[in-house]
Amino acid sequence: MKKIYAIALLFCALALLPAFAPATRAAFAPDATTTGASIGAVIEEFKLPDADGKQHALSALKGKNGAVLIFMSVQCPVSNAYNERMVKLADEYKARGVNVIGINSNAAETPEAIKQHSSAKGITFRVLKDAGNKLADRLDAQVTPEAYFLDASNKLVYRGRIDNSRNGDAINATELRDAIDATLAGKPVAKPEAKAFGCSIKRAS
Amino acid sequence: MKKLLLLVLASGAALAINGGGIAAHADGIPTRNPKMRARTTAQKNGADKKVAADKKVGARALEKSLPEKPKVTELKEVGLKSLFEASAGRKRPLLVNFWATWCVPCRTEFPDLVKIRAQFAADRLDFVTISLDDVSEIATGVPEFLQEVRADAIPAFLLNADDPEAAINLIDPTWRGELPATFLFDRTGALVFIHKGRVKPLELAAAIEKTLGAKE
Repeated sequence: MKKIYAIALLFCALALLPAFAPATRAAFAPDATTTGASIGAVIEEFKLPDADGKQHALSALKGKNGAVLIFMSVQCPVSNAYNERMVKLADEYKARGVNVIGINSNAAETPEAIKQHSSAKGITFRVLKDAGNKLADRLDAQVTPEAYFLDASNKLVYRGRIDNSRNGDAINATELRDAIDATLAGKPVAKPEAKAFGCSIKRAS
Repeated sequence: MKKLLLLVLASGAALAINGGGIAAHADGIPTRNPKMRARTTAQKNGADKKVAADKKVGARALEKSLPEKPKVTELKEVGLKSLFEASAGRKRPLLVNFWATWCVPCRTEFPDLVKIRAQFAADRLDFVTISLDDVSEIATGVPEFLQEVRADAIPAFLLNADDPEAAINLIDPTWRGELPATFLFDRTGALVFIHKGRVKPLELAAAIEKTLGAKE
């Protein structure tokens, strides 16, 4: 009788295991209802169009050592305050195998507006249009600018602000750079998440 | 001969119109007649001065009809913490709206917030707004906007945090810092309502009513 109880308990424990297992992959099926990717989750392949409508896959745009997805905006003054810093970051880390990819999920910002903005502001990296904010929903991106750093195996190792100073005159915390540098050096990321005030991503209703 | 006469008459008429300086010249089309040019320039300058004077009168009248420019108080993290600590255990729930002048939906929702203030008297509900503008705007852009939307009945603060992340987490660890954001705390200081993005006035009013009616 004890054996039967023990077997029953074992089955119950096995059935409950998935509920406590840590999330390791962010689901990317079109009908996925996930809300966000946890640190450590593997971000699966996605394809989005650029401002000219040409489709780009994450695998094609990422560098050999990873990619930084930055949710950005054409109109948001906070995002615009970071334009130069984003370009500098993209230029510096491209040589080290980490490519920056801009993502625009704002419903009201058209591909044409993105094209003009990139040209006017000297944005040197590719900016993709996330129509219907599907990628933003899947990664739970809420603010512009907000960065997601994926390592060489697409594992999310950092999400959050670029640095702590909106206008750039009092930068004393550079969490995104620190996360990339640590990863490139094979070290763990000391601070995998950091928040900042910013513009909300205007989602399609 | 008749043709020649007609041509001469037509040329004379054309010259008369051109030289006479018809009314159309007065609105900026240059004339070849120096006297007329001087007269239209003087008329134009006079009209410009009058428009400028009228504009000043209009601006003064508008300013007189507006409430006093509200005082905006600077908050650091410690001040923000004490604001919430002071609200806990008090007689009234606390409504807090985070916004910035550079945030378009924040500006758009402000008239709704002013109505909420009017709907719930200050002896029933504490209500403050906290701006995330740069501290350089504390005496200019922020109070000017608050004056414009007649938000003088809502105590106004500007958060000048050394560590914005700590401030965000102090309010609500699930908040990622997007603006606008509105939080309602009950009389015990517990967070009972969160709205990220432009408020829905009916939804917010219902949440306040519910909190006011709750027995604690």
